[in-house]
Amino acid sequence: MSWIRVCAAAEVPANTAKKFWVAGGIPMLIVNYGSGFRAMPPVCPHMEEPLEDSGVVANCILTCTKHLWAWNLQTLEMQGETERPLQVYEVKQEGGDVFARVDKEILYDFEKDDDMDDDAFFNKS
Amino acid sequence: MTIRIETKSGEFELAGISNGNILFSGLAQGLTLPYECATGTCGTCRARVMSGTVDIVWDAAPGFARLKRDKGDILMCQAHTKGDCVLRIPSDVGISERPRPRQFSGEITKTRLLTHDVVHFDVALDARMPFDAGQFVVLAAPGMAGGRAYSMVNYAPETDRLSFVVKKKPGGGFSQWMFGGALQGSRLSVFGAVGKATFRPAVEANDLVIVAGGSGIAGMMSILDCAIAAGHFERHRGRVYFGVRTLADGFYLSELSRFSIAAKGALTISLVLSHETPLRDTHPEFPEIRLDTGFVHEAAARGLEAGTETALGFVAGPPPMVDGAIRVLLKDARIPARSIRYDKFG
Repeated sequence: MSWIRVCAAAEVPANTAKKFWVAGGIPMLIVNYGSGFRAMPPVCPHMEEPLEDSGVVANCILTCTKHLWAWNLQTLEMQGETERPLQVYEVKQEGGDVFARVDKEILYDFEKDDDMDDDAFFNKS
Repeated sequence: MTIRIETKSGEFELAGISNGNILFSGLAQGLTLPYECATGTCGTCRARVMSGTVDIVWDAAPGFARLKRDKGDILMCQAHTKGDCVLRIPSDVGISERPRPRQFSGEITKTRLLTHDVVHFDVALDARMPFDAGQFVVLAAPGMAGGRAYSMVNYAPETDRLSFVVKKKPGGGFSQWMFGGALQGSRLSVFGAVGKATFRPAVEANDLVIVAGGSGIAGMMSILDCAIAAGHFERHRGRVYFGVRTLADGFYLSELSRFSIAAKGALTISLVLSHETPLRDTHPEFPEIRLDTGFVHEAAARGLEAGTETALGFVAGPPPMVDGAIRVLLKDARIPARSIRYDKFG
């Protein structure tokens, strides 16, 4: 799999986010931050909040309103007390359409134990 | 008894568990343990028991929902221990430079009905408590399981007299206790002060935008009291949006009016009625208070003009209102997340 057309750019106005289904069942959030687009899994990497509802886009920052985790959409830098990076699909705009490069679905590992089982994390190894 | 805590930033030992739980004991020792609600709902104070046993006070606490209890995960705010144990906390922990919270005992000295379903009460403590405006304490009454978080309404850097407000809630244990005739002289245990949605005028040179619903105004009263005392509105503006159902549901209006007068025009107060259309633009008794209609966050969106993006935003109230208000502060006022403060109870 590679580049897939997700939507028309006009379907996602500036400073909004919209969820689409691509490639026969992969959910994808397209975010328009004014000067560009981002494509990502549609949930907050913190507690799986659906970002289409809980996400707010302003000043090039995506903020999840649930606990105020936030990322700069241009640089993907984490803002403030955010603890996990946002994972994104490569995205491009061609003509009036938004394309994402999908090799496989990006899934956050919410089952991962935040290093609880990792002795090295606690300097125990 | 030894309680060892392994964290990302090193190991700590708790001197002991006195009357409180593991979270309270750690905070009282000055450790910057992760927490938000301190009362079992948010899940932030998660830790894993690596050895030893702990007793859980409130087994059905909503904060357990995402925890791996089979692996020994606990909420420190709900955990007591009677013996040695080792815990892991998956984050950095340090030593706080702020005054340390601790256990106090208190007595209800005054209650005052503010509306048909809101009561103000004062608690006299057995010693002086230092706190920051916007902080809360965890109150527990004899015979009632677990604690409830209440924000202080008043402000003084250190005081043995705290004021609170409680709204009548069907099924709310503490609220029912208060409304069911908790009398002056009733004893309470008080742990505090805790909470990070604070305002410290000495280190913050910003305008203030406050959006509160119902009894969420409590901590905001403390913040405004503190700001007025510090002369904050001589240099900065303040905007308060206070949502209630009807005009008759408004409370603390004489205090808010007094704040507005003291701020000499730099503090605007809007009372926003969700279930009533006011007949005039200002309150009939308190002309300093503007009246508006609709949901409080919508009124804030209408009222917040350009130039508020450097303000500090404070939000408190029922969860849907908090969510709506945060959206307005981010999107309409363009205040960044790092400048928005609220207690994350969910």
